[in-house]
Amino acid sequence: MSGPLLEAVGVSIQFGGLKALSDFNLAIHKGDLQGLIGPNGAGKTTAFNVLTGVYQPTQGEVRVSGLRVNGRLPHQINHLGLARTFQNIRLFRALTALDNVKVACRGQAALHVEGVGPGAKFRGALRNYRDWWRALMLTPGFLAEERELTRQAEHLLEVMGLSHRRDEEARNLPYGEQRRLEIARALGTRPKVLLLDEPAAGMNTREKADLMVLIRKLRDEFDLGILVIEHDMKLVMGICEKITVLDHGETIARGAPAEVRSDRKVIEAYLGDSYLESHGGAA
Amino acid sequence: MQTASAVSGSGGSSGVPASLRGILPVLVALPVLLVLEWLLSNSPFASYLLSIMAVNIILAVSLNIVNGMTGQFSIGHAGFMAVGAYLAGVTSLALKDVALSFLPVAVSDQVFLVVALLAGGISAALAGFLVGLPSLRLRGDYLAIVTLGFGEIIRVVVTNTEAFGRALGLSGIPQTSTVAMVGFWVFLVVLVSRRIAGSSHGRSLWAIREDEVAAEAMGVNTTGYKVRAFVISSFFAGIAGGLFAHFVPIINPGSFTFVKSMEIVVMVVLGGLGSTTGAIVAAVFLTLLPEALRSAFAAFGSESTLAQQVDQIRMPVYGLLLVVLMLSRPQGLFGTKELWEVIPRWIPRRRKGM
Ligand SMILES: Nc1ncnc2c1ncn2[C@@H]1O[C@H](COP(=O)(O)OP(=O)(O)OP(=O)(O)O)[C@@H](O)[C@H]1O
Ligand SMILES: [Mg+2]
Repeated sequence: MSGPLLEAVGVSIQFGGLKALSDFNLAIHKGDLQGLIGPNGAGKTTAFNVLTGVYQPTQGEVRVSGLRVNGRLPHQINHLGLARTFQNIRLFRALTALDNVKVACRGQAALHVEGVGPGAKFRGALRNYRDWWRALMLTPGFLAEERELTRQAEHLLEVMGLSHRRDEEARNLPYGEQRRLEIARALGTRPKVLLLDEPAAGMNTREKADLMVLIRKLRDEFDLGILVIEHDMKLVMGICEKITVLDHGETIARGAPAEVRSDRKVIEAYLGDSYLESHGGAA
Repeated sequence: MQTASAVSGSGGSSGVPASLRGILPVLVALPVLLVLEWLLSNSPFASYLLSIMAVNIILAVSLNIVNGMTGQFSIGHAGFMAVGAYLAGVTSLALKDVALSFLPVAVSDQVFLVVALLAGGISAALAGFLVGLPSLRLRGDYLAIVTLGFGEIIRVVVTNTEAFGRALGLSGIPQTSTVAMVGFWVFLVVLVSRRIAGSSHGRSLWAIREDEVAAEAMGVNTTGYKVRAFVISSFFAGIAGGLFAHFVPIINPGSFTFVKSMEIVVMVVLGGLGSTTGAIVAAVFLTLLPEALRSAFAAFGSESTLAQQVDQIRMPVYGLLLVVLMLSRPQGLFGTKELWEVIPRWIPRRRKGM
């Protein structure tokens, strides 16, 4: 068994006086499907932002495939195999559904550019300019690459059930489809670990049910580790094997859905009395 | 916005060997340009006007790569034009007495012109790299501030450098520019712009324009792409400056002021941020407008002062144009679309059965 694909060790981040995340630990292995829950403002999205390099942790370490990524840029971390969706949908609104995914596929195609070792940066830069030159001269290799990108993107649209929206601008898609397009786009970067930030928000019950099936299918088909933030308890409890609960940046519980559900602190902080009542008491 | 169009469009010429496909449009354009050159050989004013127009098109189309496609805001394009103009000018002056005796004079002139232009273009590209790298790392309006400063710094440097003729300007640059040469560069910048727009590079630029955070999260090296777009844009601004230096009798710092930069920005905004053909149409329009006003004034009364005032009222006119545009059609003439995507919608549809 190899080590975790994504790991957070004692990660804390502070915004001015606010400790949005303290001593956060996490390990995602290949094939994991984990959940991250907690009340509004608990620090869930902040955790995603720290993991993906949008924010730098004030303390602790983030590792992707065992490699320390503190200080790396988001696109570099993405190249290492970490992709995400956004809570407040951030599609390339004026681009077609297909192009949205192709942008992400392209990022992966350029991956070989960033090697390591002395001179790598220079070689990378040269290679980048050569890539542009190939595009300007429409070399056969370039055209073949473009066709391959299109093929990959079309496949991902199909997987996410969006083939019929191929040439529509992302902003014109209904809400639920925009969320699915975000997932298709994230998959375009060929991640090892996928972070989903409230993928079911705004969906109706049927869409949510379909999404649950889909997320499981993605995990199996793409051999992913997945971490989901979600407020819908039915969805989280239904698909996740392990759940981490945050409150005010602190990890207050972690474990299998049944354990978390019956945890006193979790019920007090998040699930609330109404949850207890409707589920006939957990303690 | 469908970015695949350029690739499929240009790739459609299937009868052509793959190795030639990339430069096929150039091979087609060259004879056309030479014929144009021949037709205009006896009309210096038309040639001059066409050259000015061409320089403006190159400037607008190249700025559109940064301000339109990538969604950044550069307002110092005239500065890069100046770098190109002066470096190309100085190069030409240095090479003035050299000749390629085995070639006819006209051809040898063009060879030296190309050398000078490349010197100007590459210097401007280098300047673009140095200005772009630090400022494009940051998001937001830093680029506007830095490019604005850059334009002014270049003016100050030129004004105080003996080799560039100080405030008096640089004269005696061989007037070797031709309609065919400016036409060639117009053609080239349009080709480059369209091919970028239709490639995966262009797609990444659009993505940056749409949402920089998301683009970065999807593995797009946003700083890298922005810098490369900026370098290419600066290169062509330098070429435009170089061409300019070879058909006007004198270049001085007054030709590359903030007003010139704003003029180019207005062209890009008027045409529609992101539209290459929009930038062309706007550049043509804004080149002809002052000329038309000038000749109109000259025709009414032969008061030369009135005709001269056209130059002075330029800036307020541009300002007014921008305001009206922002209020009535903020996306510009074509938005992000190209001429051929827009025109069919303007033509009233025929009835079925006709
Ligand atoms: N860039 C920032 N600067 C300052 N404070 C921030 C920043 N980002 C997040 N916060 C704060 O950190 C806390 C955690 O926010 P976060 O968005 O992570 O919550 P969340 O758990 O995702 O909540 P929700 O369920 O509403 O999405 C909040 O109090 C928020 O105001
Ligand atoms: Mg959140």
